[in-house]
Amino acid sequence: MDFLFLLTLLIYLAASIFHVFFLTTGDRKIDRFAYWVTIGGFALHSFYLVLRWLRQGEFPMAYWYDSASFFAWAIILIYLCIAHLTRLRTVGSFVVPAAFLANLIAYTLPKGNAAVSPALQNYWLITHSTFIFLAYAAFVAAFGFGLMYLIEEKRIREKRHTLLYNLLPALGRSDRIGHKCIVVGVILMTIGIIIGIFWTRNVQEVKWRWVDAKVIFTIATWLIYVLQLSIRQVFGWYGRRTAYSAIIGFAAVLFTYVGVNLFLPSIHAF
Amino acid sequence: MNHIFVVGTSHHTAPLDCRERVSFSEDQFTDAFRLLKDSRQIGEAVILSTCNRVEIYAAANSKDGCTLLFNFLSDYHQIDPRQLAQFTYNYQNLDAVRHLFNVATSLDSMVVGEPQILGQVKTAFDQSQSVGASGDILKRLFTKAIRVGKRVRTETNIGAGAVSISFVAVQLAKKIFQSLEDKTVVIIGAGEMSELTAQHLVENGVSNVIVANRTYERAVEIAEKFGGTPLTYDADLSFLIDADIVITSTNASHHLIQRQALVEIMRKRKHRYMFLIDIAVPRDVDPEVAGVENAFLYNIDDLEAVVASNLKERGQEAETAAQIVETESVKFHLELQAFDVNPTIKALHRQFQQITSRELDICLDKAELSPEQQKIVESMIQSITKKLLHQPTTHLRQIAMASDSLELVNDINDDYVPYVRALQELFALESADDVYMENKD
Repeated sequence: MDFLFLLTLLIYLAASIFHVFFLTTGDRKIDRFAYWVTIGGFALHSFYLVLRWLRQGEFPMAYWYDSASFFAWAIILIYLCIAHLTRLRTVGSFVVPAAFLANLIAYTLPKGNAAVSPALQNYWLITHSTFIFLAYAAFVAAFGFGLMYLIEEKRIREKRHTLLYNLLPALGRSDRIGHKCIVVGVILMTIGIIIGIFWTRNVQEVKWRWVDAKVIFTIATWLIYVLQLSIRQVFGWYGRRTAYSAIIGFAAVLFTYVGVNLFLPSIHAF
Repeated sequence: MNHIFVVGTSHHTAPLDCRERVSFSEDQFTDAFRLLKDSRQIGEAVILSTCNRVEIYAAANSKDGCTLLFNFLSDYHQIDPRQLAQFTYNYQNLDAVRHLFNVATSLDSMVVGEPQILGQVKTAFDQSQSVGASGDILKRLFTKAIRVGKRVRTETNIGAGAVSISFVAVQLAKKIFQSLEDKTVVIIGAGEMSELTAQHLVENGVSNVIVANRTYERAVEIAEKFGGTPLTYDADLSFLIDADIVITSTNASHHLIQRQALVEIMRKRKHRYMFLIDIAVPRDVDPEVAGVENAFLYNIDDLEAVVASNLKERGQEAETAAQIVETESVKFHLELQAFDVNPTIKALHRQFQQITSRELDICLDKAELSPEQQKIVESMIQSITKKLLHQPTTHLRQIAMASDSLELVNDINDDYVPYVRALQELFALESADDVYMENKD
């Protein structure tokens, strides 16, 4: 089992290296190779997760370890969807390393075999965490597109028509796809939050508190994205502003996901 | 034995008025091919006639194919041979292969990396094929040339950067908008460069052209060329609100587009991207505009700098491409020589096959063998045949592909010819040519 996870980690590392290597060489063969390595890593990772689920008998979501690993899995899933739909793999150079990092962090974290408290153990748990992590992953992709946008914009403004300039997608495209990622992320997150609310309502042991730190920051994160989408709609916040808000939003995601638990009390283990 | 020849003229060796005199129009092709074939010494021919070059490629059984082609060219266009000799070149075999590969990869073009030539080479070959003027040799040669052309395109960045100002502008626009469809371009002022740029933008999908000029008549005149809308130039620039791409090239001595005005326009157009191309000298657009969000400004110097760096890049890529061409042409030339002995080898193998299978049938008739035993005998016979023929076959191929032919490119390497003849006589093979014809059917 551990070996399987380590192997996944190493494949993601290789995929990250190949993706970044592509940006420095522009060799399409490397690009294709990186993509298939990622698919291979994803398949193995999925296999590992299913195996762990079967072993535990319960959806494995009790530890930071599980959540970080699941986050990495979601990032790759979203990336593969984008790559498949848009034929744009350049974003992999930004998000695959992120998935690798998430998995690396998971690797260093302790893991046990305990399950989430039985009261919470039902389909709500699965759907809630799936939606939330897929939303986070979509935001990671939006972050990737934001970075690509800013780099490309800088190149165009500074008139530096180097290799990287040629490889990155057109501004309009980064902006559009990044925007779509945010829309998808917001929809998924909204569903995830609603499920979360109903879920805890149905459970007697957990007292639903609006003032729970995790809840507050999740809603704040959600608001950042919703606000950004509205402003874009009304005033036309194109390009750089979308890119910046994708980055700020991503910082909020990170804080909600990791920061809150470090500094504030919460009903969420993570 | 088959040799490849090329005689031609290009922008390297002849000015336009000379190239014109030897060019072939499309309706002349059939006629020309017929004449070439009638000469009986030229087996196959392809005529490549573009605005930058006129070349005849041929495969022939004789050694003086170049002279034949040269004479044909001189006769056909009725040009004094001495005069013609001054601006034509000729190559044969490896040199001819290399030359075609250089042409197909655009290394021989006026603008290295230009994309049209590969298509022209393909068309030239198709035309020849459609009138039955090209056979196995040229088919192999041109198929390979087209493949090498594609390989160079995918493996090097030879055609990546645009090398003219107007194309750089189009590429930049695509880098900003991705697709130019539904985009609006506004031309302020007039001029060859701005019209050319607009032309390229329209060819790349821009659907809406607005021409603003101080005099309405002039605006109408230019707008007609693109099916655009003419406008009288208005200092409040309100016509820029719908403009995605702006090309300016007026003679105005001051900045027509000031930063503050543009900020206001950008707000009105909800900060959609605007790409400003300032070709005017003195400049029409305030350089400060470059800092406005979602507005991108390139002036003539910026565009020229991109052209220069792209040209430099192409030069480097051309070196890589030249290496590919070199290895591919040597490889092809060797293959071609091996191809020459193939019919003989095939005939030999076939003869052995016929004899063994006949004898085998007789033997199997006499001896009553079980199916397993039959199989064993059959495979034994086959393996004996194979082993007996292995040595002479490989040896013949090796002689045909002997490496000394590389140095003696123009002095055709015929070392293998006596061997082929000997084989044919000793084994009473059908002549290689017959087999060759048979294979073609």
